[in-house]
Amino acid sequence: MVLIVALQRQHRFFLWSPIMMFELLRPEYLFWLFKGFLLTLQIGLVVIPAATLLGFLATLAAGSAWRPVAWLATGLVAVLRNSPLLVQLFFWYFGAPALLPDAVREWLNITQSVSLPGGLSLPWPSYEFLCGVLGLTLYSAAFVSEEIRAGMQGVPRTQQHAAEALGMRPWQIFRYVIAPQALRIALPLLMGQYMNIVKNSSLTMAIGVMELSYASRQVETVSFKTFQAFGVATLLYVLIIAVLEAMALLVQHRLPVFGTRR
Amino acid sequence: MDFSVIHGNLAYLLWGSWPDGPLGGAALTALLSIGSALASAALGLLLGVMLAMSCGRLKTALILGLGFFRAIPVLMLIFWTYFLLPIAFGIDVPGILSVMCALSLIGGAYLAHSVCAGIRGIGRGQWQAGLSLGFSRLNVLRYIVLPQALRMMLPSFINQWVSLIKDTSLAYIVGVGELSFLAAQVNSRTMVYPAEIFLFVGAIYFTLCSALDVMARQLGKRYRSATHSH
Repeated sequence: MVLIVALQRQHRFFLWSPIMMFELLRPEYLFWLFKGFLLTLQIGLVVIPAATLLGFLATLAAGSAWRPVAWLATGLVAVLRNSPLLVQLFFWYFGAPALLPDAVREWLNITQSVSLPGGLSLPWPSYEFLCGVLGLTLYSAAFVSEEIRAGMQGVPRTQQHAAEALGMRPWQIFRYVIAPQALRIALPLLMGQYMNIVKNSSLTMAIGVMELSYASRQVETVSFKTFQAFGVATLLYVLIIAVLEAMALLVQHRLPVFGTRR
Repeated sequence: MDFSVIHGNLAYLLWGSWPDGPLGGAALTALLSIGSALASAALGLLLGVMLAMSCGRLKTALILGLGFFRAIPVLMLIFWTYFLLPIAFGIDVPGILSVMCALSLIGGAYLAHSVCAGIRGIGRGQWQAGLSLGFSRLNVLRYIVLPQALRMMLPSFINQWVSLIKDTSLAYIVGVGELSFLAAQVNSRTMVYPAEIFLFVGAIYFTLCSALDVMARQLGKRYRSATHSH
């Protein structure tokens, strides 16, 4: 279940030799790493949209005219930002189930598949995966909401006044005047957060999610090929980040920021 | 909610089995944070100055190198230092040192860019004035540019230290007995009140981080009002 990697390194001294450094990994080990890579991608694909949506809602809530909602949202964002993701993951994995009613806990443990209309059924993701995704989404949403807030603050006040003078409704002002400009300012910051999400997904190995870092540790333990195992995993992470970086450049190129820099 | 489990393990969570055994818990987290904060500041300053002053191939190499450390997860770098440092030096490097090394490298790589931006932010006039007074380039940097740039960079240094404190929790993964590791240990030993344990531990980290965070915001505000009044 939980992987505690308190290990002895001493025996590795004797096993390590320059020849082993260049030996390739066996195909089965590469397959483990590839499976881990796919799970890392999967976590990213679920968490990025979820954190964006939740972060946006948090920004709205923090700016709400109803004071208690604004305070609650601001407080939650501060707590999530200023405590380690690892501790938050432990809390969701070990702590939260203890607070849930017994029936819900049992349902979570027993449920193996979800039946969809039409006789289809989807395999229910593992409990570790659910906790990892939940923890990472909440943590990242707090950061995303700060970036969105920065984007909205970057739009000059005069834009709001001009739109009001034109007789636009609050929703229209947001949709057609504020949001497009705020998005352009926030996009590079958001792309940075998306890269952080991919990198932070490595922490879910601590609660037993078998993503890329977990797989690299596993391959390293079994094969003793430290360089190759960590090397392949490192390259795969660099690959994901490079793709995101290229996308960020492309987006910035397509959506130049007008009128915000004077 | 029953916080008696915290009461029973408070001393252990705060400083481990010290003074009878090795220092651990929150005290070790603080030690790890301070050590890596100093090392990452020194590294960030050095690399940032190099980045700002260099050009051509050296600059490309620096940007690529820094980009690499910014692209890989902290956890991955901890794996690398944890396994490679002993091999590279042929001696047994304590886990805490290899974690400190990884955190300093990552922190330094992030800070280098803020330092470089800070140096760039100081106007050309300052350089020209210094050079025309007969200062060498190094002395202009040391006595005129850096003192001004550092004041501007302080908030981003503090922000980096906040994420550094949070990242010290990753030492758990290589079995260094800092706060998160001891919390997980207490949790698996007692097995009764996991929510309380991790809430308490989260609160300790939160206190440390938000104190720094508030400081960064105050400094940022003061700096902004100072520049507007000029």
